[in-house]
Amino acid sequence: MSDVWHAALFGATWCLLIGIVLLVPDAPAQAIPDKTPYLVGLGIIAAAFAVLALRAKPDRGPAFDLAIVVGLVLLGAEVGFAKLVLLDPVLFPSPARVAEVFAVDYPEMLDGLRSSLILLVAGYLAAVAAAVPIGLVIGWRRRLYRVAYPIAKTVSPIPTTVYLPYAIVLLPSFAAASIFVIFIGAFWPILVGTCYGVFGVDRRLIASARTLGLSERVMLTRIVFPAAMPSILSGAMIALILSFIILTVAEMIGASTGLGWYLVTNHQFANYDRVMAGMLLIMLVVIAVMQVFDRVQDRLLAWQQPS
Amino acid sequence: MIAIDRVSMVFPDRDRRTVALDEVSLRVGEGEFVAILGPSGCGKSTLLELVAGLSGSTGGSLLVDGRPVTEPGPERGMVFQDYSLFPWMTAQENLEFAIEQTNGHHSREENRKKAEEYLGAVGLKAWAQTYPQRLSGGMRQRLAIARMFAIGSKIFLMDEPFGALDSLNRAYMQDLLLGLWKRGETDRTVLFVTHDVDEALLLSDRIVVMTPSPGRIRETIDVPFGRPREREHLNSDERYLELRARLLRLLYDELVDSLGGRTRLRAELA
Repeated sequence: MSDVWHAALFGATWCLLIGIVLLVPDAPAQAIPDKTPYLVGLGIIAAAFAVLALRAKPDRGPAFDLAIVVGLVLLGAEVGFAKLVLLDPVLFPSPARVAEVFAVDYPEMLDGLRSSLILLVAGYLAAVAAAVPIGLVIGWRRRLYRVAYPIAKTVSPIPTTVYLPYAIVLLPSFAAASIFVIFIGAFWPILVGTCYGVFGVDRRLIASARTLGLSERVMLTRIVFPAAMPSILSGAMIALILSFIILTVAEMIGASTGLGWYLVTNHQFANYDRVMAGMLLIMLVVIAVMQVFDRVQDRLLAWQQPS
Repeated sequence: MIAIDRVSMVFPDRDRRTVALDEVSLRVGEGEFVAILGPSGCGKSTLLELVAGLSGSTGGSLLVDGRPVTEPGPERGMVFQDYSLFPWMTAQENLEFAIEQTNGHHSREENRKKAEEYLGAVGLKAWAQTYPQRLSGGMRQRLAIARMFAIGSKIFLMDEPFGALDSLNRAYMQDLLLGLWKRGETDRTVLFVTHDVDEALLLSDRIVVMTPSPGRIRETIDVPFGRPREREHLNSDERYLELRARLLRLLYDELVDSLGGRTRLRAELA
């Protein structure tokens, strides 16, 4: 009953939106000859929400609610920007104009996406690969921790983007410089998360493991590492969000391709429909990457779920 | 054989030192089932940890089979009230991991078979792929006991293993433990910490009553009943009732003493 009600409301919102896009003429300042890209985009979004809602079990309500909210926001933008032009049409392009950018600029965008993801993944994975083992050992050996802690505490709050200009000069390419800066930025949260995780491991679990007579290597890899995993992952999550910030800032400063570069270049040429499209693209990328992270996390922590 | 000779354990706290064990001496023969009975804070868990090798004493000597205990090892298996198992491993993986780590020279296939065999022995075959989090408290303890058997421990150190279970599960676990204990050709020694008088009487050959601050052995009582024991028969045995009353009095006296003596307690109750 409630599902049917939700679906009906979802359908009504989106039909109204598409109806207004198609039937009500745009104001002259926002008019474009071809609205196909926007309509295709709307169709894809609506279909995606429908699939999401159908796959959601047992309660489809939240997925439909989200779809309705997105529909209403788009409806507001359509009426406010495209039809009534309540705001400056240069700074606030109509949704259809933003959609057109995707249709025109997609080769450039895909290129940028690829180069950005390479930097992000390389810097981030390098940070994970370095920080987790180091964190495990530092957390396990209290004496090491006492040495490392003051250093980490002093260095970690410094925004790593301040190293960027120097890194660009010192390292052979911009790519190397931004990978390095992302690496540094992601390193600290993962290190701290890992150390805390190791500290938090229940003493009784360690005792139980010790009665098996484990070697230190096995103790770290098979006991301490998985036991610290929840904390490692929460550090890794913060690191991932930081990596996005560092990546886009770096690209805005020194890149000649990439998502941040796309934004800042079009800003310089006052192409605000392109700036808007770039922001949307980055949002979509962040959402997608976070989804992947969530999946990985759910799998790694499957043992924590009570049922 | 476990030979504990005038063993002390002192924790130097900031403002006062806590004497968890004060020159405790105890001998436990091979194949003996000894219950350590006492209120919380009497040092019974500390004593167990020393035998396990999880911590070192501050005085005295502790020999197992003539050798001083310096570190933990699989020949002294331990079961805690909870937390014996690794929550990120399924029931099967917990056993396989323990087996693999303690006799690594066997093949993977052999280890798997052995794990399955012990899972079956404690009735957990259907739960092999389940994480401990999703098992009941009783099942978790069965698994912990299975692990101890699977790694071939000669000495079982059990720290209130059934303390968190309801009475029905507890009775079931007690019978299961006794059934497994005497199975096979090896003589397994058990040191069983509890604060349950009935549990101590049902399970053990000898009961060591400990008293707190400082932790000392107050009395050692031989349990006269033969094996196998049936709890229904015990309940109607006069010696059982007598021993039970005596043990309760020992524990109760301790409690009263720690509250400031019988006279003060009486005065306060009046």
